[in-house]
Amino acid sequence: MSMVECRTLGKNFGKVVVLQEIDLTIEQGEVVVVIGPSGSGKSTLLRCINVLEKITSGDLLVDGKSVKDSKTDVRLIRLEAGMVFQQFNLFPQMTALENVAFGPRKVRGLSRAEARDLAAELLRKVGLEDRATHYPSELSGGQQQRVAIARALAVKPKLMLFDEPTSALDPELKGEVLAVMRTLAEEGMTMVIVSHEMNFALNVGTRLLFMDEGRIIHDGKPKELYENPPSDRLRDFLRHIQ
Amino acid sequence: MEFQYDVVLNSMPQLMKGVKLTLEITFYGLIGGTLLGILTGLLQVYKVPVLNWVAFTYVAFIRGTPIVVQAMFVYFALPLAMGIRMSALNAAIMVLSVNAGAYIAEIVRGAVLSINKGLVDAGMALGLSRMQVVLFVVGPLAFRRMIPPLGNQYIISLKDTSLFIVIGVGELTRQGQEIMASTFRALEVWTSVAILYMVMTTSLALALRLLERRMKIL
Repeated sequence: MSMVECRTLGKNFGKVVVLQEIDLTIEQGEVVVVIGPSGSGKSTLLRCINVLEKITSGDLLVDGKSVKDSKTDVRLIRLEAGMVFQQFNLFPQMTALENVAFGPRKVRGLSRAEARDLAAELLRKVGLEDRATHYPSELSGGQQQRVAIARALAVKPKLMLFDEPTSALDPELKGEVLAVMRTLAEEGMTMVIVSHEMNFALNVGTRLLFMDEGRIIHDGKPKELYENPPSDRLRDFLRHIQ
Repeated sequence: MEFQYDVVLNSMPQLMKGVKLTLEITFYGLIGGTLLGILTGLLQVYKVPVLNWVAFTYVAFIRGTPIVVQAMFVYFALPLAMGIRMSALNAAIMVLSVNAGAYIAEIVRGAVLSINKGLVDAGMALGLSRMQVVLFVVGPLAFRRMIPPLGNQYIISLKDTSLFIVIGVGELTRQGQEIMASTFRALEVWTSVAILYMVMTTSLALALRLLERRMKIL
């Protein structure tokens, strides 16, 4: 069973068409990097997969469950698809540890002690065990984003969605976040990443999507698309993000 | 005219009765008003069908009419119109609740709307229900932002109890008026009354400052 399956998916905001005729199947273990100019629908696609946006037409199945099926509990889909945001969105009233322990306690029903242990283990995994009692406002952007990744992992999702995870970070802070993401990919996590980090796409990505004006224009191996762009549009775009 | 301290001293017992009643009306009125305000504020923020219009109309009516008129309406007009009769004290508590509730609804609405939408997304993305997001993410943050304007409203409401003189509740201002009628010592009486209000509002303001400091506004 595929992790994600889009069938002629369409999404409008009022009269504005944001996504059209998206046909996309993502299998378990794939690391899909999505690139494209702003306004091309990349973020909206991620938000549709996590049902933060309702699709307008077509169908979308996540882990075999249709988002349109009224019998589907959308919370189950969100539970299977962890999300990391460009602006981190950590809960400011909670410490790093509490941020990570919150999800497992509230949605997976873990006890306070179990959730704390799990959170401590995940903070260690992202290299922040010594920042457990710090509040988000006391952490650097890179540290906040690593906590956010730990928070998303804490509910044990089958799929991780990254919406421009390093775009709000200084160059020297991007590296620490990308390193955590690379580890995740090596552990076999299925990932969909909206990002213009071409080095990451080439070294870690198993698949590259190029989106423009709400459509998927190219879909292939990162190296092949990068070294031999099949269209002028992609060639231009790649030149611009270097 | 000389300031006669013995007038102050002699009227203290009666003024303290007024203070007690003022505090009682304020206490129950604000508990009711806060609950009502949170409810109607949330109905409007989350656009609950039909009920959000009820809430909107309620806020419009209360903010659009003076509290003195509201008090007179409840105490003198309701018994005639619908046969609802209540004691002056209960009428005062009810009017203060309903009045403060309308203003607090706007405070709640503003605070909740000011919370970054990304935090709601983050909560939903974790698989929380909408209710859990409101209760554990938006609620605690909005509450912190509500404290300063809420304190403002609490002080205004406390002072508004003086208007219930029109329905004959024996609160502080009313007691001052009565002592005035028998002693004709305006200077001593109104100075004492003013100082007593000052003490009450300042204590309330200090208590809210302490709460604010403990919660550290985010």
